Amino acid sequence: MSWRHIWAIARKEVRHIVRDRSTLILVLFTPTALLLLMAYALTVDIKHVPIAVLDYDRSATSRAFIQQITAGEDLELYAQASSMAEIEAMLMQGEIKAALVIDPNFARDLLGMRGMPMQVIIDGTEPGSGGFAVDHIAWRAEEFANQSLTNQIQAMGFSLESLQPLDLRVRTWYNPGLKSRNDLIPGLISMVLGMPALSVALALAHEREHGTLEQLMATPIGRAELLLGKMIPYIIVGLLNVIMLPAFAMAWFHVPFNGNFPLFFALSAIFLFAMLSMGIIIGVFMRTQAAALALSFLLIFYPGFFLTGIFFPIASMPEAMRMEALGLPGTHYAIITRGIFLPGIGLDILWPYAVMMAVLGLAYTGVAALFFRKKLG
Amino acid sequence: MTTPIIQTQGLTRDFKKTRAVDGLTLAIQPGELFGLVGPDGAGKTTTLRLLAGLLDITEGGATVAGFDLARQPESIKPHIGYMAQQFSLYAELSVLENLQFFAEIYDVSPADLAERTERLLTFAGLTEFEHRRADHLSGGMQKKLALACTLIHEPEILLLDEPTTGVDPVSRREFWNILTELHLDGTTIIVSTPYMDEADRCSRVGLMYAGRLVICDTPQKIRAQLHGEMIELLPDDWQTAKALTENLPGVLEVQTYGEALHLLVDSGKKRLPQIKRALTKGKISFRSARLAPVRMEEAFISLIRRLEE
Repeated sequence: MSWRHIWAIARKEVRHIVRDRSTLILVLFTPTALLLLMAYALTVDIKHVPIAVLDYDRSATSRAFIQQITAGEDLELYAQASSMAEIEAMLMQGEIKAALVIDPNFARDLLGMRGMPMQVIIDGTEPGSGGFAVDHIAWRAEEFANQSLTNQIQAMGFSLESLQPLDLRVRTWYNPGLKSRNDLIPGLISMVLGMPALSVALALAHEREHGTLEQLMATPIGRAELLLGKMIPYIIVGLLNVIMLPAFAMAWFHVPFNGNFPLFFALSAIFLFAMLSMGIIIGVFMRTQAAALALSFLLIFYPGFFLTGIFFPIASMPEAMRMEALGLPGTHYAIITRGIFLPGIGLDILWPYAVMMAVLGLAYTGVAALFFRKKLG
Repeated sequence: MTTPIIQTQGLTRDFKKTRAVDGLTLAIQPGELFGLVGPDGAGKTTTLRLLAGLLDITEGGATVAGFDLARQPESIKPHIGYMAQQFSLYAELSVLENLQFFAEIYDVSPADLAERTERLLTFAGLTEFEHRRADHLSGGMQKKLALACTLIHEPEILLLDEPTTGVDPVSRREFWNILTELHLDGTTIIVSTPYMDEADRCSRVGLMYAGRLVICDTPQKIRAQLHGEMIELLPDDWQTAKALTENLPGVLEVQTYGEALHLLVDSGKKRLPQIKRALTKGKISFRSARLAPVRMEEAFISLIRRLEE
């Protein structure tokens, strides 16, 4: 292993990155741009979902219920319908996402404590806002029923204190406002930091495509020297992003960073090593940049999105997918970013994830070195 | 005879369906300028890649610079300079940076690098372009830079794959003047080329056809293989002239060169007047008809035509 060889490869790679403006922009700023884009696109604070109401009861109680449902910012009363046909038309036009149909016996049943008969119709083609409407109507209905029950009990002459109802209060720690961005952004950082891996895969495929790899294979350069020299500049670029991304998240999205930054930086370096090893494997096997790009999406970005637990809990995955998730550095790193950003936990808890990433990185490098031969065809 | 610097024994390489190189047995002496010629797809590139250790050997074996090609490919690499057919330098790096890069990969000391850089740049006529990016050089200059990069470690053996394809005639001549100087300095050179005038400048030439080395000798002896003499004919309409002359007695072969016809005949003196008469009789006008020396080109086309039949 000659450092002069590694240095020669790394320096020419840096020159390539710096002089080719599109590569420079790709490796330096895409992670931040992606973070910005995805944070806005994926923040699930839905507001003002339009609904229609068809009130067959027309009682004071049903009118009070409708008022309560549309009191917040979440649901908006688009129209009072007078027939099912009208509701259907509005749903078909996409004017409303959900409709609430109140049964003629609504007030009678509620006051008789037999329930609160009603129906919610949603636009199944938009399960997101439809489901949101169902949840929020149910939540308001429960509130309304409780209120009504309390009123009745008090009317009967019981004091509330003597009832001692079960008091269940849910308190959320670390992210008290339950702001979805605070939780989402640290997870997204783990995903967008996959970019340097894509770059290194493309860079290796680029050399193959342009014949420079053939030229290198005819020289005495060692395989490990070549791969390491190729990785080093992208690790440096990645580490710049490790500084840029949290700074951007804090400045732009006001995401709190409660943990230890040097620890975050060190663990991120291990993550980058593991991810770049995956990138190198892709570059070793793919003959063209187009193929390397396609495989990077298949192996780095889609799993990063679906399998690393950023959006879908790993615990709810089938066994096989859970195993796959554990083989992705991003799964462990997402736990680390979320753990360091909000609760600010340290290495005493995070070390197994760091070890896992290091093991994966070494394994992937081993695979790459095993399959990368100085041969064509 | 000294020990050959390159020796192949039944060297064979298969790709999925085709046998690209088929039982190549060849010995090249130190200091030879060996030309590898043959039609596209004959196996020239595969042969050079095999010798550079870039492809696995299917069958047979070879030694290059005293090392076994199959078992010690990495030991061979410091001794060879390989130049691929396509431009394979770093486009974003300048002339100097490309030279420096390959010097470092080949462990050339900084002192040697400084001395050789100056010499090679002068040699290749690139001194005034030393800070220019490689992708901003002309095609001919790129080839010369690539050659300079493969020479930076002063290899004993040069493997050059069609180095002058796609290069203008002036640059081509300059390139060959450089090769001739290297040859005179004692470097062993194997160069593949589609140009027969270049093959004529080699000390020995091997013709490859369908993966096999069908002939391997000095240019003089290859030309001598072609029996008969050559008449160069410039008719106004080469198609009718070809149809007519092909069937004349004593005409062995007719080759077309653009508008011109090259007729191989058993005896030039005897056939030239006969052919002229036949053309006049057939009312086929021609600008000239003369005896011409046989070149490598006719010899090879004739050889390949016989192989195809």
